[in-house]
Amino acid sequence: MTTQIEFSGVNKHYGAYHALKDINLSIDKGSFVALVGPSGCGKSTLLRSLAGLEKITGGDISIAGEVVTMLPPRKRDVAMVFQSYALYPHMTVEENLTYSLRVHGVSKAERKKAAAEVAATTGLSELLHRYPRELSGGQRQRVAMSRAIIRNPKAFLFDEPLSNLDAALRVHMRKEIRALHDRLGATSVYVTHDQIEAMTMADHVVVLRAGIIEQQGRPLDLYDKPANKFVAGFIGSPAMNFLPATVADGGAAMIDLGNRPIRLTIPVAAPIGANVLIGIRPEHITLTAPGEGRFDAPVAFTESTGSTTFVSTATTPELMVVETGRRMVTNGDLVGLAFADAAIHVFDGTTEKRL
Amino acid sequence: MRRLYSSLVDGRGFDLCLIGIPLAFLIVLSGVPLIYNVVMSFQAVDMFSLGSFIRPWVGFENYRQLIAQPEFWPIMGHTATFLAASIAGQFLLGFALALFFWTNFPGASWLRGLFLVSWVMPGLVVGAVWNWLLSGDFGVFNFVLRELHVISGNVFWRSDPTFSLWSVIIANIWLGASFNMILLSVGLSSIPGDLYEAAELDGAGALTRFWTITLPMMRSTIGALISLGLIFTLQQFDLFAAITAGGPSNSSNVAQYWAWDLSFKQYDFAKGAAISVIMIVVVMLASVYYVRSTRHEVRG
Repeated sequence: MTTQIEFSGVNKHYGAYHALKDINLSIDKGSFVALVGPSGCGKSTLLRSLAGLEKITGGDISIAGEVVTMLPPRKRDVAMVFQSYALYPHMTVEENLTYSLRVHGVSKAERKKAAAEVAATTGLSELLHRYPRELSGGQRQRVAMSRAIIRNPKAFLFDEPLSNLDAALRVHMRKEIRALHDRLGATSVYVTHDQIEAMTMADHVVVLRAGIIEQQGRPLDLYDKPANKFVAGFIGSPAMNFLPATVADGGAAMIDLGNRPIRLTIPVAAPIGANVLIGIRPEHITLTAPGEGRFDAPVAFTESTGSTTFVSTATTPELMVVETGRRMVTNGDLVGLAFADAAIHVFDGTTEKRL
Repeated sequence: MRRLYSSLVDGRGFDLCLIGIPLAFLIVLSGVPLIYNVVMSFQAVDMFSLGSFIRPWVGFENYRQLIAQPEFWPIMGHTATFLAASIAGQFLLGFALALFFWTNFPGASWLRGLFLVSWVMPGLVVGAVWNWLLSGDFGVFNFVLRELHVISGNVFWRSDPTFSLWSVIIANIWLGASFNMILLSVGLSSIPGDLYEAAELDGAGALTRFWTITLPMMRSTIGALISLGLIFTLQQFDLFAAITAGGPSNSSNVAQYWAWDLSFKQYDFAKGAAISVIMIVVVMLASVYYVRSTRHEVRG
């Protein structure tokens, strides 16, 4: 695997605001990388810096072995799909697709041919002579992607491309984008705030917060071994349950759920008396009859979607349990909560890092 | 009765009332004088028949006589020059200023607002100011041109027949450029920024982006502005009255000033009306173009 994109020590300041803090990231050729994080975490800034639309204030960016830090966007040979699609409203679909070729002086006949080829693969053949305003959201999305494909760039950059689509179309386009990436053997960088998109589409997920890379790795590694409380809470839906606890003797921790302390064996060693956070994913807890699980808790609320039941407990802090299928529990019932040792994540109480 | 009442309070009747009031206003204050003027251009009018609407019908006689006058074609030529030069000057200067302020340097919006001062000033005041600036003996305009070595001797802008029309054109460009700038600024700022980013990533340089994104996206604004410019320029009367009064020897006379001169100085109301009708036709064509170009706005 050769490296296609490399950020080394990238910093970005907006006046006094430090938007990107010493970012080091290398992206392999042909991989699909998702930058994910809450809004304001710097993921879009990082992508725009890669495109050259933002000037970085420190460090270097290289694309295909060439340092591009000082190059303007048009010399970087990357294509971007914008959240708003940014289609040229005064041009037909065909003209939109071939704009880059026209700028580079490709002849009209060749442009037409290229547009027809790309349109055939993305299902736009019938729409080539329409204007963007005459297209649906999904069609516009396809035009934006085709406009990127036609150039055969060194990298595809996606800036939250699915956030303007409705939920059903979003799921569909997710697969379509990934299939396109695989077919073209392209290198893609995909910005999203939706961790599901990141988990399902990417080979490599980079979680950002406040301009810092919190963790990066394969999607399931992030899910199984989150490096800190933030990543643990961000990856996975519904979010992980966090219970404050104090380490006791004998490899156990005492959890305080509001009424009486509960003793729980933890799979890691920590000094006695240390404050820790116990993390358990909702989908790793199963409901049992009272007394048969690790501890009992009263039910506060249940929501059922038909295939899944979400149960929250009347404890402080509240615990969320996801059960597959339908579960006939009602508010106020006492239930037992069972989970495996492997499902327990322990984080340091102050640094929030994984122990 | 009840239905009529409810329609008047909240229904079609109410809508018609809302439209009716400005429509009546327009008919009384614009429509009637306009028709009166058109009718008058086909009649024989003198000082004694001025008060009555029923006057001898002469057909196109007024027009025929008007065109036969030796100053007709020169004045039409001046009008065309005045229109073309004023619109081109106002538009180019306005576009340059709009692009300049678009770069959004500190204080840009404040300075842009200040530019509007030239537009809100009455034409007669602007005329008076430019009389001083263009003055042949001690005018600032001559001084600047002389220091730049564009001219060697003084140019008597207002009294030299070669330059008299241009002195009004210069003042008119100054007067109208800021209005052009504001409209073009609005047009520029309504182009979404990500189009430029997309074009930049597609490999377009600054000049290519201007030709392929900015100009086409501004087409309706530009069309509207040119036709508005045509209308405003044909209405420009004050500057002529203040700067040259059409002279010397009609060298800076234009249709709109001539119409006033014929009607209210020579009391030849019929010919004055005939010129106005010719101008109405031109303005009508411009208005049609204006309405069409604002209707075909391209917005994503």
